[in-house]
Amino acid sequence: MPAANVAAQVRTSLASLKASDLQDAQIMEVLKLAHQLTDTMKLFFSSLDQSICQEFNYIADYISRTRDEIAALRPNDIKTQRIPTAGQELEAVVGDTERATETIMSEAEAVLCDEEADYDAYRANVEARMMTIIEACSFQDLAGQRVSKVVTSLRHVENRVSRFAEVMGVRDADQVVEETEEEKRAREQLLNGPAIGGPETSQDDIDAMFSDAAPVSDLDQDSIDSLFD
Amino acid sequence: MAVDMTMPILVVDDYKTMIRIIRNLLKQIGFENVDEAADGQEAYAKMQENKYGLVISDWNMEPMTGYELLQKVRADESMKATPFIMVTAESKTENVVAAKRAGVNNYIVKPFNAGTLKSKMSAVLGDF
Repeated sequence: MPAANVAAQVRTSLASLKASDLQDAQIMEVLKLAHQLTDTMKLFFSSLDQSICQEFNYIADYISRTRDEIAALRPNDIKTQRIPTAGQELEAVVGDTERATETIMSEAEAVLCDEEADYDAYRANVEARMMTIIEACSFQDLAGQRVSKVVTSLRHVENRVSRFAEVMGVRDADQVVEETEEEKRAREQLLNGPAIGGPETSQDDIDAMFSDAAPVSDLDQDSIDSLFD
Repeated sequence: MAVDMTMPILVVDDYKTMIRIIRNLLKQIGFENVDEAADGQEAYAKMQENKYGLVISDWNMEPMTGYELLQKVRADESMKATPFIMVTAESKTENVVAAKRAGVNNYIVKPFNAGTLKSKMSAVLGDF
């Protein structure tokens, strides 16, 4: 039963008692106090109902806004279109690269193995194979376009997720995320992958670490620090 | 002592193209007796059956990495003396230090050329 109804019912009962012509002064005093109490309670419960109502309205608004923002994310579009398309584009890049590499290497190996004694025939053969190599290099243009499409898709997803996080006031959870088996193996096996923009440690620095003059165990902190610059 | 140019060399990489590149570079340098394996596990099995004069291995492979292969080779009495060169895109100092501590003889970062491969092989095997 709503709080306001309870208060009204108590008030009605009190009024009924007062109207029954009671003569005891003490009972009348108690009824007076009870009346004041129910008045106070009525105010309290009505304010309570109002704040609960406001809370529910806020939650309803929040859910509605969240639903709108999720719709704006277009998760189905991301899941069924953008991510699969990006995956297909990357697979195509790998395929194009493999085919081009195969062609280039085969032609280069054929030139290296060419034992033609006649100069003109040798030259014609080399020129023909060089042209095939040049043609095969056209994969780079296609690969560039495909990678651009993938980058565009990733930017689209990034923008949508960022906007969603911003509007919803999402913050990263504080708790430590549990390491997966794959991540654990990568960490233990030091699988960092190629660095962007060239090797993190140059071949010259590696050579220095393998030279007799500077065995790894004897590297001082400055030498190690310089490797991280 | 002169380097035996006919010695068998084991090239370990999960990319066929990289194996082919290394094969060609080795051929250019003068080594034609080249065997290959697609990961550490296959390489270790081959090393148990054959004796190689040199192992040239990538790092990042599954199910057994080049780093694990190196550790297994160095822990196995029958093959612990086999020269081992790591050829990898893993270029963090921690990788180089870990490989050195595990007993690698030399370390080449990808991409590399025939000159680099030859100079590191010379550093490990002696001039040829």
